Amino acid sequence: MLEAAAIVLAGGRSSRMGSPKAALDWHGSTLLRRVTGIVARSVDGPVIVVSAPGQALPALDGAVEIVTDEREGRGPLQGIAAGLAAVGDRAPVAYVSSTDVPLLHPAFVGAILQALGDDVDVVLPEVGGYRQPLSAAYRVDLLGTIDDLIAADRMRPAFLFERSRVLHLTEPDLLKIGALNRLDPGLRSVSNLNEPADYERAHALPAPQIVVERFGPLARAGSGPRRQTVQAWSLGEAAVAIDLALDEHVVAALNGDKITRDPHVPLVSGDTLAFMVADAGG
Amino acid sequence: MPPGGYFGKALIVDLSTGSGCAAAIEDQVLRSYIGGAGLGTWLMHQYCPAGVEPLDPQAPLMFVFSPLVGTPLTTSAKFAVVAKSPLTGRLTDALASSHFAIAGKLTGHDAIVLRGACDEPSVLVIDRGDIHIEPAHDLWGLPAAEAEARLREQKGPAYRVAAIGPAGERGVRYATISHDGRHAGRGGLGAVMGSKLCKAILVRPGTKVASADPAAVLKAAKDLRTRSFGAATAKYRELGTMANLLAFNAISTLPTRNFSAARFDDAPKLGAEEIADLKQIARNSCASCSIGCEHIYRGPDGKKTRMEYENVFALGPLCGVSDADAVIAASSRCDELGIDTISTGGTIAWAMECVEKGLIDAPWLRFGDADALLRAIEEIGAREGLGDLLANGSRAASEEIGKGSDKFAAHVKGLELPGYEPRTLQAMALGLAVNARGADHNRSGAYEADLSGAHDRLHGGEPHVAGAIETENRAAIMDSLILCKFLRGVFAEPYPEWANLLSTVTGWDVDADELAITARRIVLAKRLFNLREGWTRDEDWLPDRFLSESLELESGRTATLTPSRLEAMIDSYYVGRGLDPAGVPNRKTVSELELQSLMDSEPIGAEVG
Repeated sequence: MLEAAAIVLAGGRSSRMGSPKAALDWHGSTLLRRVTGIVARSVDGPVIVVSAPGQALPALDGAVEIVTDEREGRGPLQGIAAGLAAVGDRAPVAYVSSTDVPLLHPAFVGAILQALGDDVDVVLPEVGGYRQPLSAAYRVDLLGTIDDLIAADRMRPAFLFERSRVLHLTEPDLLKIGALNRLDPGLRSVSNLNEPADYERAHALPAPQIVVERFGPLARAGSGPRRQTVQAWSLGEAAVAIDLALDEHVVAALNGDKITRDPHVPLVSGDTLAFMVADAGG
Repeated sequence: MPPGGYFGKALIVDLSTGSGCAAAIEDQVLRSYIGGAGLGTWLMHQYCPAGVEPLDPQAPLMFVFSPLVGTPLTTSAKFAVVAKSPLTGRLTDALASSHFAIAGKLTGHDAIVLRGACDEPSVLVIDRGDIHIEPAHDLWGLPAAEAEARLREQKGPAYRVAAIGPAGERGVRYATISHDGRHAGRGGLGAVMGSKLCKAILVRPGTKVASADPAAVLKAAKDLRTRSFGAATAKYRELGTMANLLAFNAISTLPTRNFSAARFDDAPKLGAEEIADLKQIARNSCASCSIGCEHIYRGPDGKKTRMEYENVFALGPLCGVSDADAVIAASSRCDELGIDTISTGGTIAWAMECVEKGLIDAPWLRFGDADALLRAIEEIGAREGLGDLLANGSRAASEEIGKGSDKFAAHVKGLELPGYEPRTLQAMALGLAVNARGADHNRSGAYEADLSGAHDRLHGGEPHVAGAIETENRAAIMDSLILCKFLRGVFAEPYPEWANLLSTVTGWDVDADELAITARRIVLAKRLFNLREGWTRDEDWLPDRFLSESLELESGRTATLTPSRLEAMIDSYYVGRGLDPAGVPNRKTVSELELQSLMDSEPIGAEVG
């Protein structure tokens, strides 16, 4: 867990998609709920969604902060500025993501943030021949520079990169990172969805493989194996896969850490989910 | 006429003369402190001489009943044992269950207060209205269960017995008092009883007590019983508290090798999910209980032993021991000697680390060595060899050894920590630090807040403080009514439901708001007792290990509890409890909770015997 914030830009027009990307279904959840849930796993600072004025957002985890970019339609730099301003002094760096990356893996977020050393202002991945400014890490104190660029109507991220210390990470660079190589070897973390066909293709992908364990009475005879692998995009799907009702008597621990019964909690390959009775202690 | 469910009096027994007298307890006191741990605290303010040494004959030992005892309400057959702890020097109250609660109350008293000391090893017999003392040299040295069986054989099955084992006789500072195999376990109450040369107390019921509205009580009891069969108690029925072990291991909350780790690789060898089918032979329950949480295992020598999470954690992972038979045998031996398994395991684990670091010369005592564990338990029970040092608990032992060994002596106020890792359960960290009894999971159930998922359990803050206060309040009421905490999950609206039960039994018009005030009063009455006995703010703290060493979770996150974070939570807890920065109730709190009388009271009849 890094001393960092996460910013998810949700205010795009989704014109090619034909409907707001943030609210697109993702196997019982939404794209925005999934992406905010994934970035939250890699940072210990705030998770901020930047929305357009009046934009209806799907339900999000209560800890996610929402800020409105009053000057919508001016491109990603404007959204990044709104997000960094909202971070303020709560974190020195922020991972910035678009909304439309349902295959994002926390290992990718962690790798990008960890690459941001003292002598770097931006960590900018280059995947598939493209720079990925909305899968990148930024120093929060770049805000002044970005504001200057916006004031000068220099709205392309490239202008920011000209005026900052950028660490470019190519695909080979990224795949040298052990955890990323193991958990997201195809670097699908940056696969964004622009058109309905992109969405449909991604949506049809098999769900990630999750190890599910049960404890206590949930592991008793007749309830299925104590430990098994299932495919699930979310906590809710994993519970369904083992025929377990997520009622008030059940909680789950994700990778031995966060405890929740929120069915929308996103899952990714390599996750372990421990279901246990909520009536802990004694 | 006392309120329903009460006799309105305590029996005050002077063991030095064998005489007893009834002391009236005013209705207002009963309503303000209810019974069990609450009423016991009030009685301690009245009957415990200020500054008395816990093992001095003048120090009282109390068996305190409650208005619900004797009703058909499930899990209500419980009693509190209250005294000044020889382990902590502060108030301790431990609960035990079953027929002793009913028979003790039906001697016609809401509490039995023992003062003074017998001249020779004896038993106290309270037979309806008659009180007398009988010599018991033949019982001295016996395990409590054996003494209990012999006494009932001699006297008849109508008598119910609470007794101590050899460890209580020898003043092991975490000795227990037990009845029918269930222990009032924490804080060394058995040593207090042993210091009075009282092997056992026998009670035979001689009267009845009526509820204010028997039909309504019966209806409530049927409803509660039905609900007690539901999902909220499934864990206790199916595997018992041992179900915690593997789950806690999975979330890095299982204290291992004297809290140097929070995961134990060999935990599956001890998990109920793995071994229950092989070693569990029966299930049992207390009198008047429909849950049946007791899971009886057969040890390697064929002895039957109740196995609980706390036994297994303390004598297993905490000491690095993974042999299930050895852990069952160790637990069984603790029962026979009459010692608290948590303090036993905690003190031995501390000693194992001392040996590892070269601070104690006992090369046989190594983490993971089951034979060493069993030998250490024997020596503690006999107060022989290294056991004489360890019999005083980890705080006193670390003070004697010195050389920085206090930094990893895992206790609060002298009471060893239960099986909840405070760095990965930071609401619980606060609960352990501030509780009047010391490091305790029964008076502070703050782990519930951590395990609810409502806040990040690794980042203690305001929500954790609120959780710690609320769970402590709820425990104060359940321990005073008394209802078993394993029932807590069935109460969707605890305060209104508890108020209704109490009203039905007593005839009072108690509501949820009054009960919420009562909870706060009881919590602070305990604090006031400790204040009277010299408590200062620095006792509300955790050992150095928890504040200087981090733990790595499987997720890659690091669990760190800094001194500043703990201090901030304690500051906030004090504000939430209406205490000043020194931890003393402020004037407004004293007035609102009507605590002034406790602060003014002089103990009654300081001299006995």
